[in-house]
Amino acid sequence: MTYLLTSLVNGLVFGLLLFMVSAGLTLIFGMMGVLNFAHSSLYMLGAYLGYSIGRWTGFWPALLLAPLAVALLGAFIERYMLRRVHRHGHAQELLLTFGLALIIHEAIKLMYGPYPVEYAIPAELARTAFSVNGFNVPLYRLFIGAVAISMFVSLFLLMRYTRLGLIVRAALSQPLMVESLGHNVGFVFLLVFAIGAALAGLAGAVAGAFYPTGPNMAEDLGSIVFVVVVVGGLGSLEGALVASLAIGLLTTLTVGLDWTLAGALAPFGLSGWAASIGGLFSITLSSLTGSLPFIIMLFVLLFRPAGLMGERS
Amino acid sequence: MPLDRRDVLKLAGAAAAGFAAPAIAQARPALKIASVETLSGPGSTVNRLWSLGLKYGIEKINAEGGWNGQKIVYAEYDTEGTTGGASQKTQAAIADGAHIIAHGGSSNIGGQITEDVRKWNLRNPAAKVLFFGLGIEALELTGAKCHYHFFRFATNADIRIRALVAGLKAENALGKKVFSINQNYSWGHDIQAALEQSAGENDFTLVDKVLHDVNKIQDFSPYAARIAASGADTVFTGNWGNDLSLLLKAVQAAGLKVRFATTFLDLPGALSSAGSAALGYFHAELWNPQAFGAFGQELWTDYKAKMGTFPSTSEAKSILALLFLQQALKTIPEASKIDVDQIAQALERTSYKAPTGDVTMRAGDHQIAWPIVVSKVEQGAKFATDGTDMGFVPVKVIPGGEVLNTVQASCKMQRPS
Amino acid sequence: MNRYHRIAVCLAAAIVLLAPLTFSDRYANLAIRILVAALFATAFNLLWRQARLLSFGHGVYFGAGMFAAVHLMRANEAGLNVPLILVPLAGVLSGLIIGLLCGFIATLRSGAYFSMITLAIAELIYSLGPRWQALFGGEAGISSMRIPSMGLSFAALNEVYLIVLGWSALGFVAIRFFAKTPLGQIAYALGDNERRLQFLGYRTHAVKVCLFALSAAISGLAGGLLGIAAENVDYTVFGPASSAAPVIQTFIGGADVLFGPAFGAAILTGFGNVFSDVTRLWLLYQGLAFVVVVMFLPAGIVGSLLSSKKRPLREAIANTLAVLLCSASLIFLCESASILLSDSYASLRANQGGSWVSYRLFNIELLPSSPIVWALPLIVALAGVLVSCKLKRQEEAA
Repeated sequence: MTYLLTSLVNGLVFGLLLFMVSAGLTLIFGMMGVLNFAHSSLYMLGAYLGYSIGRWTGFWPALLLAPLAVALLGAFIERYMLRRVHRHGHAQELLLTFGLALIIHEAIKLMYGPYPVEYAIPAELARTAFSVNGFNVPLYRLFIGAVAISMFVSLFLLMRYTRLGLIVRAALSQPLMVESLGHNVGFVFLLVFAIGAALAGLAGAVAGAFYPTGPNMAEDLGSIVFVVVVVGGLGSLEGALVASLAIGLLTTLTVGLDWTLAGALAPFGLSGWAASIGGLFSITLSSLTGSLPFIIMLFVLLFRPAGLMGERS
Repeated sequence: MPLDRRDVLKLAGAAAAGFAAPAIAQARPALKIASVETLSGPGSTVNRLWSLGLKYGIEKINAEGGWNGQKIVYAEYDTEGTTGGASQKTQAAIADGAHIIAHGGSSNIGGQITEDVRKWNLRNPAAKVLFFGLGIEALELTGAKCHYHFFRFATNADIRIRALVAGLKAENALGKKVFSINQNYSWGHDIQAALEQSAGENDFTLVDKVLHDVNKIQDFSPYAARIAASGADTVFTGNWGNDLSLLLKAVQAAGLKVRFATTFLDLPGALSSAGSAALGYFHAELWNPQAFGAFGQELWTDYKAKMGTFPSTSEAKSILALLFLQQALKTIPEASKIDVDQIAQALERTSYKAPTGDVTMRAGDHQIAWPIVVSKVEQGAKFATDGTDMGFVPVKVIPGGEVLNTVQASCKMQRPS
Repeated sequence: MNRYHRIAVCLAAAIVLLAPLTFSDRYANLAIRILVAALFATAFNLLWRQARLLSFGHGVYFGAGMFAAVHLMRANEAGLNVPLILVPLAGVLSGLIIGLLCGFIATLRSGAYFSMITLAIAELIYSLGPRWQALFGGEAGISSMRIPSMGLSFAALNEVYLIVLGWSALGFVAIRFFAKTPLGQIAYALGDNERRLQFLGYRTHAVKVCLFALSAAISGLAGGLLGIAAENVDYTVFGPASSAAPVIQTFIGGADVLFGPAFGAAILTGFGNVFSDVTRLWLLYQGLAFVVVVMFLPAGIVGSLLSSKKRPLREAIANTLAVLLCSASLIFLCESASILLSDSYASLRANQGGSWVSYRLFNIELLPSSPIVWALPLIVALAGVLVSCKLKRQEEAA
């Protein structure tokens, strides 16, 4: 019971963290049709900048400044690099973001060394929120969840109820029309990319204090974020939320479950036979934790490529 | 003085010159030792220490006259963290004239190098090389992968677990329920198997066992939850690096009251991550500065003076391996050609007198038998470790013969005639 | 190119390709890796050049071939006597079968979705790698040893190089020849306009699967060749680095030219082998070069070279000069930053009481506090930028 409760909390928080990172990615893809491979690198950059700026100004100002810096970088990338490559086609844009991911990754290793840095939770937040059967849940986890939820709410309100959101959504489907109506669509694109980058940077600055801030951050999270965005539906914010919660819960809950196919055959009395065969039958669910997101993604791409809540193209 | 890029370049240059220099006017060849380690990338901070220890140890031996009338030559090669890179660099080291390849960081890479050395020796019997395992502790290296030219200077999983169990029992700290959590590769498998066997022979039950991905898990709280759910008193783990630090942090964050029995708590970064929660945790290793008395004290201060930091276990083990080698080399007369088979024979016959007891190299599988020091983490220890005020205080020293495992049946060592 | 040029080029190529037979193990190893990378990149490029499909997970088929070859070698050690020259065939077959399976799934969708499916498959296999001990050997991998066959011992790598050279040539010929077959021609049409092809009555999905299978088979061949040379393999061959390599090499070399990817693979593998020993920043330089090529040379190096025949030589020299100057100063700045930001330099400074200590780069002693150290590379970079700007202005004026 303890295990279930704590895993639920952890899974939800991890899912919300995934949402923070994937929100920006899905926005950018929905907006510009560009799959930003560099997104998880921006997340990593946010974490490292949060650490560096934090050492200079303290944790809370860094939480504001780090995403800002990442947003500026995002704006630069969009204006001077993506736009230039845009006329050569989607594939070139994909390749550009792919290359940028490599550069950001290596540049961070250059600046900070190839090992993790001690980005620590500030003292105010470093305590236990509550206890479940003697098992403590740290306050910072709830903080991460709170930041993610407020991010979702503000984005949702921005898109739905503000004029800027209206223009952005219009520019999504009819950029030329919107441009001829007098709006600066180029600036809108720039803004969206910058906001997406800022979201990733904020996620990094917040999560980096809790999870290890090291050069492997981007790879570890990057592939799962990809899965979340595809499963949720490229361009759909709600889909990204649902998918990230689902995947976060699934990966956290299965860590402790040693179910096997052989065990599943127990009601039929076949588990002994299945266990003796071994191989596929005795692979535990917990050992597949890392692979589950990709199995799900494959299924979704085959049977419903638009994702759970994406628009059919 | 810490080793920086200039030194590395100078060293590489000197090594290259030393290695490449033709042996025209040299009546006596110099022994060449190559350190093939992961010097770049995520694992490098800890793995570099093996090379640093070797460098210090070789300088020390050279100050005492070297061997064969020459100074021992040292060179470094970077595996870049992959077995493919290790393979290529081993080839490069051999091409540069190394007689001994040394590696301490990873059992996987060690497994690769030992196979490469075995194949090289088979294909080039006139130019054999030796491979020293300074810290690679997976059982297969003295089991299925054993061969005459490999020597393990470190403990192995069986030895560590036996020592830990014996030590905890002596301290009445073993408890009845034990939890095992390890990394899912050869080393982790070995620890788990050793624990299972120990549970059968001793008075405790293994309530749950976990094998997890190596260096991939960011969040150990699900495992902390599992430990809580199992009701274990003691947790045995062979984890190292991030896997150990994060596990200890998660257990501390969850407020669990368990004891830990570890094998790598003394590596840099582990104790400082665990913080005060580590007090009372147990550890078993062949090196402990306090248990080594005057020798330990001298090494502690001299290393700090020369290299800028206190010696960690990795550096100490490299140095101890070299001292054992030095003892063996003393029995070999000077010659105009270095015969590694002779060195191997000498190693098998050597007995080294360490402050903790006698040390020998078993001929059957080339596993060294060191006395093992079981220690406990205490505050205000004499040799404070990892920038904290805690250190490892010895509680029991077990003679090598008592914890040595039997020669594995899978080791079919072919001896040169 | 007239007759004499052609003969000269062929002769030069023959010398370059046959030279490694005389090299020591270390350099024969490098030559083998270059050939393998070139073959792999060309196989990857087959999908792009013909059908405009970007596969981000090609490491799977390469890895499949490598594992197949090593397993076959282990079987050889146990008694099955397949001659070494036929072992790469295992790589071809495994690449083909896995390619058919995965290709069928992947080619159900197109465009970005296709790329994502290939990526998902690669990530899936990579995450399953350490689990499946029997097949992939877990974290340690599988190792084997070449046994003598057909009278040669294959102990030294130059004998292996002969096999690698032979099979690579076969692979290149197959790819070249494929373009001339009817299936190859249809595949070209796929890249141009898939819809129209469908309306003409062709089963485009079947064509895509065939193309994918061929690309995977030759990737498997490349993997098999590396398998017999390296004699070991572990699951990291399925990882992101493996799949990223052909992408980078192809687009730096030139994606629309047959030998573009091979060229890219050759220079990147060659330089990588040399530079990764000298500098920690090799991957950074590689990434920078990749982005620069994607932004300014969309046709790749070889592509640009071929199309620039119409442009005057002076321009080419000026452009190259600009690039060299900028790269030189960038490399200087990056390497300096790497030294100055390192831990050992920080402790050196601490020892000297916090003042700026001189450091050593390219055998020159440099003092960070002196303005010349920073002004010089900036001036050099500026010179490079000026050269290219002046060139552009001349272009526009003409």
